[in-house]
Amino acid sequence: MDLARKSVGIVHVHDPRVHWSVRAAQVMRIAAAAAEWHAPTVDMLAMIGAPATPRNTALRVVIVREASGRDIALLAAGPIDVADVDPSDVLPLPAALAASAPYISAIVVARDGSLSLLLEPSTVTFAEDTVLGEELCPSRS
Amino acid sequence: MAVVREIGGPLTWIALPTATPALPGVAAWRGRAIAVADLAAVLGAGERLASPTGRVRTLYLQHGASTLAVPVDTVREPLALSDDDIRPARIRTDAFCMGEADVEGHTTLVVDLGVLLEGYRPAVASGPR
Repeated sequence: MDLARKSVGIVHVHDPRVHWSVRAAQVMRIAAAAAEWHAPTVDMLAMIGAPATPRNTALRVVIVREASGRDIALLAAGPIDVADVDPSDVLPLPAALAASAPYISAIVVARDGSLSLLLEPSTVTFAEDTVLGEELCPSRS
Repeated sequence: MAVVREIGGPLTWIALPTATPALPGVAAWRGRAIAVADLAAVLGAGERLASPTGRVRTLYLQHGASTLAVPVDTVREPLALSDDDIRPARIRTDAFCMGEADVEGHTTLVVDLGVLLEGYRPAVASGPR
């Protein structure tokens, strides 16, 4: 690793559907259980085509803050860890796939060689007052 | 036409939920992310890829500005075929089929993976907003 380069903090979610990540700098907090989080939540993987998170899956909520100051609560199904990765291990999607994956900016190569999708919560937009993924929040079920 | 840049071992890749069966995911190769192609999905034969593992070998193909990883079961040896050795394809008539040739007594399909992959790129989506 080039020590002259600043590492990138990444929050990894080992979601059984597909491993995903967000930049640690965006993360405000991680709630222990979705059931204890009373605001709307977003299942980003479901938004981009993965199966919805099963209701009986142990969930946490990763709250990220985008540049506008809006907080988005992401459902996280699976263990979470935080790691520093070299910037060279954050690889933008190839052009052939990037256009069809607006919520995914890159893949992250972990030290063990495993891969995760780097999600961009700031690309999430809400139609008027409808909150996407709200129906997936166990606290409202 | 796609050019073989490298033949490697098993591939680690990750599925993209937005991807197509033909280009189901992404892998890291030489410091960048490249698309992974699933020939089984394209040809409609054989076992489909399942992330995170690929197959025993991986072909890395250059097609224009794009590089693609194509997991395969076996790589035998490079063969030099002249145009006269390739006859019109009768096995399949897909656009990616350049023809067929006799290799070690077997009729072998000759494909242009560049054509194949161009045809299977995902359509640009506006995203579920």
